[in-house]
Amino acid sequence: MSITRRNVLLGASAVAALAPIAARAETSEVAIGVIYPFSGASAQIGVDAQKAFETAAEIINNKYDFDLPLARTEGLPGLGGAKVKLVFADHQADPQKGRAEAERLITQDKVCAIVGTYQSAVAVTVSQICERYQIPFISADNSSPSLHRRGLKFYFRAAPHDEMFSAAMFDFFDAMKKKGTKIETLALFHEDTIFGTDSSNAQLKLAADRGYKVVADIKYRANSPSLTAEVQQIKAANADVLMPSSYTTDAILLVKTMAELGYKPKNIVAQDAGFAEKATYDAVGDKLEGVISRGSFSLDLAQKRPMVGLINEMYRAKSGKDFNDYSSRQFMGLIVMADAINRAKSTDGDKIREALVATDMPGEQTIMPWRRVKFDEMGQNNFADPVLLQYSAKTFVTIFPEQAAVSEAIWPMNS
Amino acid sequence: MTAETIIQSLASGLLMGLLYGLIAVGLALIFGLMDVVNFAHGEFLMIAMYATFFLFAFFAIDPLLAAPLVAAALFVFGALVYLCVVRFAVRAKANAGMVQIFSTFGLAIVMRGLAQFFFTPDYRSITHSWLGGKTFSIAGIYLPVPQLAGALVSIAAFTALYFFINRTDFGRALEATREDAGAVALVGIDKNRVFALGWGLGAALVGLAGAIMAMFFYVYPDVGASFALIAYVTVALGGFGSVFGAFAGGIVVGLVEAGTTLILPPSLKSVGIYAVYLLVVFIRPRGLFGSL
Repeated sequence: MSITRRNVLLGASAVAALAPIAARAETSEVAIGVIYPFSGASAQIGVDAQKAFETAAEIINNKYDFDLPLARTEGLPGLGGAKVKLVFADHQADPQKGRAEAERLITQDKVCAIVGTYQSAVAVTVSQICERYQIPFISADNSSPSLHRRGLKFYFRAAPHDEMFSAAMFDFFDAMKKKGTKIETLALFHEDTIFGTDSSNAQLKLAADRGYKVVADIKYRANSPSLTAEVQQIKAANADVLMPSSYTTDAILLVKTMAELGYKPKNIVAQDAGFAEKATYDAVGDKLEGVISRGSFSLDLAQKRPMVGLINEMYRAKSGKDFNDYSSRQFMGLIVMADAINRAKSTDGDKIREALVATDMPGEQTIMPWRRVKFDEMGQNNFADPVLLQYSAKTFVTIFPEQAAVSEAIWPMNS
Repeated sequence: MTAETIIQSLASGLLMGLLYGLIAVGLALIFGLMDVVNFAHGEFLMIAMYATFFLFAFFAIDPLLAAPLVAAALFVFGALVYLCVVRFAVRAKANAGMVQIFSTFGLAIVMRGLAQFFFTPDYRSITHSWLGGKTFSIAGIYLPVPQLAGALVSIAAFTALYFFINRTDFGRALEATREDAGAVALVGIDKNRVFALGWGLGAALVGLAGAIMAMFFYVYPDVGASFALIAYVTVALGGFGSVFGAFAGGIVVGLVEAGTTLILPPSLKSVGIYAVYLLVVFIRPRGLFGSL
């Protein structure tokens, strides 16, 4: 096509006609980046997470009669009813890919906020990129305590971290001891990335403070083809409580290997992760009767708060699974972020950050057993009370703390 | 550390090592035959494990019975991969080495992607099989029955392979093609046919390993990755192209891995394998039993 005056005019008028549409499109959608492992060894987490975020977006973008922020309105009223649009990115559990994907989300997809990431090691790099571009980041389901202690201004976490979780475990041990149960020795078993390392550091410190003896502290390589040697050391230690911090693949292999080597631990109190995943219980659930895992969510909350059950139904329709500790935190991550963007009445990073700082969401308006959502100066919500759940008769029941418990703990686990 | 711990470690290492050998031998065979490294080897293992899992889930066929079926299916699959992909890759006029690498590497990515798309990334396990979860113990040493069966299958497969290569016409044709692919054409051996059968045989062996592994390991689209890495080290250690080298290399890898954990923290257990590998590379670059 030759460039004639008519063509130039034609093009210009086409641009002029489209411009208002483009401008309108900008205000009617708010892009939020969601960064998870959608391929690789933990792809299953990402695929389930995507459904949790879509459930949250559906509730935000449409009218539902739930006592949850943004449920009763369509879109974000603070931005003229703009709809939340999720942009998903795959970090493959690799911190460097996470860094690159976060940068791409910010510079090319123009997201105004990011939520992520499952692996704490990836949250480290993603949150650094967000800090550089001054884009708020919510750690929906990362639990390493070191994450919020890096002096980042744009980092927020509504959920508990592993020190809070581990403290709950030791509170539970103390309570059991008061009742006359013998708990003296612990065996730690953790993977070698930031999640396992931070978790075991917290546990080692708590054990020393409260007078428990750590008889084995085993750090293993994540996604190992075999855990035989590791299990032998746990078996030799034969502690009163085995405390694993393992992702799904290793959790399955750990339980299988323990059975193969004829080792029945007296008790398992797990740092969530693999021990919250359906896949683990599908594979080796028969060997996990009585296992205790920390959590920040429990479906039995639905008895007190019916919307938890209804939202779970929505999630199950999409994913075929019930909410677990991860999907529930992912869901809340988006709700908290969208609530802040709504109050900020802007997609500007600084304004959203100010709104996040001002967040004060009562616990009843969440699907979690938390007291409230309110961030301290480091971006951590200290009102997120963890719970301990016990797996028994194919379901999880809350056993600790007392005010949330629906049942007494079975101890030792095989009794 | 007690004697019991040491014996248990080494026994477990030996069982695992025999399995590593069985996983790796297909790789060694194909490399020896036509100097092509199959980067999709881990994915061959993955589909073998999925095949075993689905035979169990839909038809309640025990992995032990499924093993020959899976091996046969993988034989066909391996031959097809040669005929449809590798045959064209080796014909490349320019950059032949790169084309070969990228064709099998690309195949690996496609297979992984398709597996995730069709089978979902969920972790699957065979919950109850004849041998699964059973353990054999003598004097405080525990030997899991599935791994024990795997070790026996591995020894049997290597013995059969030895006789096959040394005592049959096809085995001799295989050896001859490997020596000089051009010369065998002159005596009427169809190179493509030998290569296709070689790929089939290599895939069938990894299929056998996959069926055994599905008894005690979880299955998901990326399961091949960690085993493939060990397989490459095993082959390089034992000597590229040497079938017996893969057998010995597997045992060495298994024992060294188990031995390392007795001395170093378990998170460093691969260090031993790579240290031994480096040592071999420095002292005997062609591998322990390599003839190249």
